[in-house]
Amino acid sequence: MSKNKSHLYEGMYILSATLSEEARQKALEKITSGISERKGEVRKIFEQGRRKLAYEINGRREGYYYVIFFEIPTSSMNELWKDYHLNEDLIRFLTLQVQDVPEKLEFKSLLPM
Amino acid sequence: MTMPYIKKPPLEGIFVKKRKQCPFTAIGVRHIDYKDINTLSQFITERGKIIPRRITGVSFYHQKQLAKAIKRARHMALLPFVAQD
Repeated sequence: MSKNKSHLYEGMYILSATLSEEARQKALEKITSGISERKGEVRKIFEQGRRKLAYEINGRREGYYYVIFFEIPTSSMNELWKDYHLNEDLIRFLTLQVQDVPEKLEFKSLLPM
Repeated sequence: MTMPYIKKPPLEGIFVKKRKQCPFTAIGVRHIDYKDINTLSQFITERGKIIPRRITGVSFYHQKQLAKAIKRARHMALLPFVAQD
């Protein structure tokens, strides 16, 4: 097995809601360029918009949510995480390995009980 | 001498439990996503605790996924760890 095998990942990012429109675009670009700089490829970006956080994080009550699907060599993941921890505009992040990129973020609703 | 076995007729008025079907199996969900907050919030209490599957009737297979999805959603501040009033 080669060490630099690429995998598809899904990342959810919460950016600070106090940023201006311009600053937020810049912060998003920082995330996407961080991926492409490490031989990765951004597949799809879903903008989830402004949302109230379920609990306060570092004094912040609101956040701007993004879901990004990208492909990157597994070995670059560590560096990516290090970057994210240093990024002050990024409140929280979550990266998961996934199988495919969905067209839309839609879910089946359960039958009424 | 052995007693002949007589099958007792079911007692009248006794409550017979009907087995619930797993809500996820019913609509054929394979993977439970942490982003699907509307569904996840049906399986937590007002306080934010995960409801045991003996009450909701979720299958073992799906309850494991559900618990993981709820925990991921909590990390991303989509669901509360403890709901305040």
